[in-house]
Amino acid sequence: MKKVIVACGSGVATSQTVASKVKSILEEKGVRASVEAVDIKSLDQYIKTSDVYISITKNTKEYDIPTLNGIAFLTGMGMEEETQKLLDALK
Amino acid sequence: MDLLKTIFSYILDLGASVFVPAVMLLIGIFVKMKFKNALSAAITLGVAFLGMNLVIGFMLDALTPAAQALAERTGIELTAVDGGWTTAASLSWAWPYAFLLFPIQLVINGVMLLLNKTKTLNVDLWNVWGKIFTAVLIYGVTGSMYIALIGSAIVVVLELVFADLNQKQIETLTNIPGVTSSHNFFLIGTLLMPIDWLLRKFKVFNKEMDASALKDKIGIFAENHVMGFIIGFLLGLAAGYSVADSLILSMQAAAALTLFPMVAKLFMQALSPLSEAINDYMKKRFKDREIFIGLDWPILAGSSEAWVVMTILVPITLFFAFILPGNAVLPFAGILNIGLAVPALIVTGGNLLRMLVICTITTPVFLYAATYFADIMTNLAHSTKAVELEAGQQITWSTVEYPAFRYILTELGSFSMVGIGLAVVWALGFILYRKEMLKRTEELKAEK
Repeated sequence: MKKVIVACGSGVATSQTVASKVKSILEEKGVRASVEAVDIKSLDQYIKTSDVYISITKNTKEYDIPTLNGIAFLTGMGMEEETQKLLDALK
Repeated sequence: MDLLKTIFSYILDLGASVFVPAVMLLIGIFVKMKFKNALSAAITLGVAFLGMNLVIGFMLDALTPAAQALAERTGIELTAVDGGWTTAASLSWAWPYAFLLFPIQLVINGVMLLLNKTKTLNVDLWNVWGKIFTAVLIYGVTGSMYIALIGSAIVVVLELVFADLNQKQIETLTNIPGVTSSHNFFLIGTLLMPIDWLLRKFKVFNKEMDASALKDKIGIFAENHVMGFIIGFLLGLAAGYSVADSLILSMQAAAALTLFPMVAKLFMQALSPLSEAINDYMKKRFKDREIFIGLDWPILAGSSEAWVVMTILVPITLFFAFILPGNAVLPFAGILNIGLAVPALIVTGGNLLRMLVICTITTPVFLYAATYFADIMTNLAHSTKAVELEAGQQITWSTVEYPAFRYILTELGSFSMVGIGLAVVWALGFILYRKEMLKRTEELKAEK
């Protein structure tokens, strides 16, 4: 099963909000994947074992896996576009 | 009516892990969630309480003997163990009137938007807990629920005002248009801005430094498990433990710090269906207006400056805890001072050197506030049964957000002269803050 991670300052609130939302979207679309909220301080470790990274901050680094804009899931603006990218990445 | 009261107090007596999920289930049904989803959310909430209780108990069992040994050996009494913001949040949700803060926040935000008193739509319903916590502290001091709710309503108004003032600076730092952060911890800006204003007069404090290289080097010390390990080891040595016992303590400390966020995540899992439903409603309601979406602080978590400052503040906070007379706080789970470093990032506009100076100077304020609030948090743990403490164990939060303003609110709530005097000083700080941020907004607009 593919793994999606969402990172925020402590891996508790914002990331979990986005993760819950993404999880319900994927369930609706019938896509099986695990979605996990993680702590941004340990992001480098999590990236190694994940397939998609949903970011809610300005990225200073480039990662090897597809990186999506998580703000879209919080504000609702541009959400369809990001959802499509997510579905493509999980194919 | 009496029957209703009996049922209510019966459930209340069962403690937070049953009472709050019961409230959650009722609210879920009320906002027309599917029953199975509402039930699942409610049980998850109960699991979150018990999980937090386990981790806090584990932490206290490991740290309390070390703190006692330290006191016997050195005379330094650090009896109030720092459970961090996750503990504070757990206690807040356990307060019987906690859920009242949802309608209070929504109504105030809606009215202020309609009257054009703010441009921010706060969709961050997680941090409602911060306002609950404010209410809990005021309630603990004054014993009046009305004063407590008025106090937290004041915070709701102010966080929107700050979100408006900070919007351009946040947009510049994050590159995300139309977004701001409506976190209540930005209220501390009134304390930080006067210091920043002074420092800016000196040339050395206007030098730009590159924080990202430094973050790559020291960032690992801020990772929960590594930080817990080091603090545990240092505490063991200070308490006169053998190296073997210190190593055991450090691994326990690492475990506690790693588990706290893992368990606290359950709170958000439980609350997110409710928060999503409210969000959709609010966004639809204000779709046609030019608004800033108010989010939680982690949109700024990409800032290297904030992490560098938080990491360097860890040893500084420990040092202060040991030497400050009258401090009773043993800094631990809450030692990363997010609620200081992130507002300092906004106040200085990202100047690392000024952030460091400002945060170092103001760290004692946090420790003294945490010492002062320890009794209230401990009492709440007992009365709500959210956290089981043994006799003599004290719990607190070493980096309690906007400590000065929360203290002022508790004093104002008791109608003391100190409270009125400090409120006037706070208002002066706010006037400076507002003036500076409005000026900065114009400058940032001009740069574009």
